[in-house]
Amino acid sequence: MEIEDLASSSDGMSDLEVTSKELNDEELQYTSGSIPKLQFKKDTSKAHWNAEMGMAGVIEKKGKMWITTGIVRRGKLYYTIEETLFLAEILAVHMLDVDDTTLFLKDLYEKVAEGKSGCCWETFEVYRHLKSLGYIVGRFSFINQLKTLQISDLRPDFEVYLPNNKFRKSSPSDPSFMLYVTRAHPPSRNEIEELERKCNGIPLKFSHVDPGRVSFFSINRVELPILP
Amino acid sequence: MGPRWKGKDSEARALAEPMSEIVQQLQSCLIHSKTRGLLLGCSVLLGAGADCMDLLIRACFGQPIITAEKDKQWFELSLEESFYLFHSLRCLEIAGEDKRLKNEDEIWQYIISKKPAFPYFYKAYSHLRDKNWVVRSGFQYGVDFVAYHYHPALVHSEYAILVLSEGSDDVNGRLNVWSDLKCMVRLCGSVVKTLLVLRINRSDGYLAVSPLCLEKCNVEEYTITRWNPEQCREEKTINKRTGFLFMCSVCRMVSRACNNNAKMRVGDVKYQEEIAQDNGQRHNADPEEEKEKLEKLKF
Repeated sequence: MEIEDLASSSDGMSDLEVTSKELNDEELQYTSGSIPKLQFKKDTSKAHWNAEMGMAGVIEKKGKMWITTGIVRRGKLYYTIEETLFLAEILAVHMLDVDDTTLFLKDLYEKVAEGKSGCCWETFEVYRHLKSLGYIVGRFSFINQLKTLQISDLRPDFEVYLPNNKFRKSSPSDPSFMLYVTRAHPPSRNEIEELERKCNGIPLKFSHVDPGRVSFFSINRVELPILP
Repeated sequence: MGPRWKGKDSEARALAEPMSEIVQQLQSCLIHSKTRGLLLGCSVLLGAGADCMDLLIRACFGQPIITAEKDKQWFELSLEESFYLFHSLRCLEIAGEDKRLKNEDEIWQYIISKKPAFPYFYKAYSHLRDKNWVVRSGFQYGVDFVAYHYHPALVHSEYAILVLSEGSDDVNGRLNVWSDLKCMVRLCGSVVKTLLVLRINRSDGYLAVSPLCLEKCNVEEYTITRWNPEQCREEKTINKRTGFLFMCSVCRMVSRACNNNAKMRVGDVKYQEEIAQDNGQRHNADPEEEKEKLEKLKF
């Protein structure tokens, strides 16, 4: 190759491969004139909301969603607010209040708004996004953290497992990754370090929520190799 | 993502002529010819004879300036490039407007007055150059640098680089807000590069008054990549020892299945085509973006 060719290609402009056409799903919805239809579950479990615990106690199990959802305490299955809301949205659970009256979606959304059950709206949207895709998602547990004496508010939000039809709540393997739902700003270096410490070697991902849209990122420490 | 070589023979050429050797030859050539550069604004101009011209181009320092002059080829170097030749490789002398050669402190003061954040950018630049990566301006991509495995004529750049410093006095002001981070990751995906953050950490005794401050800081490298849960559902390997990397492979073209009326079985839950399509719409499945991702996987 001639020196002139080397010189002229040193600015790397040929790398620019930006796609000009962009398919915007909002535009699609607008033109189609209808809201996408959701396939509802035919098997509906039943659960009572327990305000003291901030969880739903399952009294009737139907279908298969319960296998990979909820936690068992003293022999009974409980759903967190995000699990409850997700299942309620797709009719996988029929929610009852303590006096056996039906709790509608409006009531459940209000419970999220109250903020007393350990999950805010943005965290729920992340939960729902992954759960809809078949991932197995649980709240970050402190069981692995017994060695860590430092207690601070900063911790991962979820433990996530890849879709797995052999998953058993009683004997899960290590999560595939931990997930932190970022708040207003990208995580700082110190925040990343503190979160990773609490992950005990399990990879950490970050998610960000714009209303209705969830995106995920990995921030990985690397070391570029020394080249010849 | 490994290096994307341009053409069949490029990788072999790179192995036959390692960049470290080319840079060494350039160093000798500049010392031998007593080449001197001229400080002009935020650039350094130098006139090179035939031997040095060839090596400057092959080592990828500076941009040639097209002039009618026949016996000399003029090059314009960035502050980082010229300071690397001056300070790290000790093969270039630099003069100011008074035509007098400047010493290291004078050059440093001049550069800092033009570009106060220079120590961070130079630390990042020299960190990668010392590892024999080719580092060029990232101006056209809105980043600080781009890094190539070898000469840009033979390989596409792999990394788009942003330089960050720690703490509240981060001099570059990048990636403080989500819109900037998302914009960068999106852009990098479109031009098939990985976003690389070089974080410059200062230790005690750091003072920007002299080049000695460069020894009082170190570089941490991070990549920031977008993860698409629709495409990564089957585990390939998890590197548990480092705990930092998560590898996944595309097990099925999930979004393709959604669009092709296929029924999917995921975990214990059976999804009908409508729910998959609804999820695709609800969760911003972007066919153009998926196409780009597929193209990337070919490399």
